Amino acid sequence: MARTFRRNRSSEELAVVLEAGEAAVLTRLCEELTTLLNAGGGGEQSDPVLERLFPRAYLDPTEEEAEAEWQRFVHDDLVDGRRQAVATVEGSLAGALVRRGRFELTLSQEQAQAWLAVINDARLALGTRLNVTEDMDLSRLNPDDPDTAPYAVYWWLGVLEERLVDVLL
Amino acid sequence: MTPGDTPGHPGQMGTLETPTIVEPDVDETVDVARPWVVVVWNDPINLMSYVVYVFQKLFGYSREKATKLMLDVHHKGKAAVSFGNREQAEADVSRLHAHGLWATMERD
Repeated sequence: MARTFRRNRSSEELAVVLEAGEAAVLTRLCEELTTLLNAGGGGEQSDPVLERLFPRAYLDPTEEEAEAEWQRFVHDDLVDGRRQAVATVEGSLAGALVRRGRFELTLSQEQAQAWLAVINDARLALGTRLNVTEDMDLSRLNPDDPDTAPYAVYWWLGVLEERLVDVLL
Repeated sequence: MTPGDTPGHPGQMGTLETPTIVEPDVDETVDVARPWVVVVWNDPINLMSYVVYVFQKLFGYSREKATKLMLDVHHKGKAAVSFGNREQAEADVSRLHAHGLWATMERD
């Protein structure tokens, strides 16, 4: 996946090429995010992943009233924004041209933002679930080992995100 | 944050611990018009390059300023990224949360 994202010179669009396996992983991650967001829509947050995606705003525990009001005000919008980003990624994957086992698609700036958001949310969710630390070396994992496969996906998401940020910066 | 880029270490931010209330690393004088500060905390997942990108996108900071803030988050554990009244701070915190950054607000 040497050049996953490339900026078209003539427009603000990004050209994307994914291996079929990569597209399949992204599709599955979108489904998992949707399940997670549906579970977290009610505002009950005992799940550490939901706590990570939707943290408190007020550091001071005596600001509970302001915190609750802020949550009431923004929580649904934050959930909706994440859902829309997932829907955008799913839509662009569904519309991809599949050629020689590769998924080719073009993203507008807005769609690219949704891709970045979903990739980052998937990393946050997976990284929180796996309890990753800053100094883990994930580059030598065998993706075929079922015990380490989630770590390999997490590592791959990081590479993918780095590439996307590179072309957006 | 993770340093990112090189396959092997997609860069992430430090450890996500329960924050204790600490005075932000800012000037002692309190600006009455901007009594709230928005703080971004280190976490072990977000990529350093992504954090720079988000600071530039949300606050219009230069690459240089965004990078300095990101490095403060990475090395000091947190950085004050914006100041304002309560509504402005709440809006900035929401935008940072929408982008997956771990942000809180407190009185300056």
